[in-house]
Amino acid sequence: MSSALNLAHEPVTKIPHGKLAMWAFLASELMFFSGFFGAFIVLRNANYEIFGQGSAHLSVPMALTNTFILIASSLTMALSIYNLEKGNRGNARLFLGLTILGAFGFLIVKYFEYSAKWHDGLFPHQEGHTVFYSFYFLMTGFHALHVIGGIIPMAYMFFKMSTKKGYDHPVKVEVLGLYWHFVDLMWIFIFPALYLMIPYHTAAGH
Amino acid sequence: MGHDHGNVIKEYMKVFYALMILTLLTVGAAAMPFPHDWGTPGDILHVTIGVVIAVIKVIAVMYIFMHLKFDNPMIRFFVYVPVFLFFVLSFALNFLESWAYVH
Repeated sequence: MSSALNLAHEPVTKIPHGKLAMWAFLASELMFFSGFFGAFIVLRNANYEIFGQGSAHLSVPMALTNTFILIASSLTMALSIYNLEKGNRGNARLFLGLTILGAFGFLIVKYFEYSAKWHDGLFPHQEGHTVFYSFYFLMTGFHALHVIGGIIPMAYMFFKMSTKKGYDHPVKVEVLGLYWHFVDLMWIFIFPALYLMIPYHTAAGH
Repeated sequence: MGHDHGNVIKEYMKVFYALMILTLLTVGAAAMPFPHDWGTPGDILHVTIGVVIAVIKVIAVMYIFMHLKFDNPMIRFFVYVPVFLFFVLSFALNFLESWAYVH
């Protein structure tokens, strides 16, 4: 019989526990967002008029800016992990810092987007916009919460990397990277679904 | 990790540029005034293009940024099932559009 020590290294799968756990968590996260997408798809098809008017009011330039920010921060995250694995601590820290900046940039744009909606009186309970804006605030709101949830461990690791001792846990940063890429993935679907897929006759005035 | 060959960064940059270009393509396609006859009330052409591009972007991110290309096949199997279900769900948007068109 092998000892408990061997079990700690997971001899069967050769996958670090944290990484496997993160993938399991992300699979459940995907199902969490699937609920929103499923409801969105069904209700959109029953309410083309409301969904068309709703998404026509959204700001594509702001969402596009945020898409670019998220994609760039996904790249810097991957580069941070790569540099940490290679032992380039300085670069790893630099790229993680850039990723955090991207996350804050995303939230700042989101703040301006939300306050513009607020200013125009486009709330979930606005007459005629009820269903669409419920989805808009739920989906982008939960996504923004995920961005905030990513900033906290990233800031912790950045702080640790800034200390004299450094932060030599490439696997942990990689696992956090998986989460961060997932946040990007969800936005890749939310962006076209909410902002771009405007039902034809409402957008073109037919 | 089995991917310490020098062109990893090159691959990252390729994915980055591809994601940027595909994003612009999505926005461009959404703004295209496709002939009205082609569209259902919800406009199947715009929706199909949007969903297909999103699926391509997601596969690129998972394969390269999330290291599925280099990872243990066991993780891949573990990931493919929920992702496949999600892709099926997103294509339901198209099927419902076609349904609306037929009826």
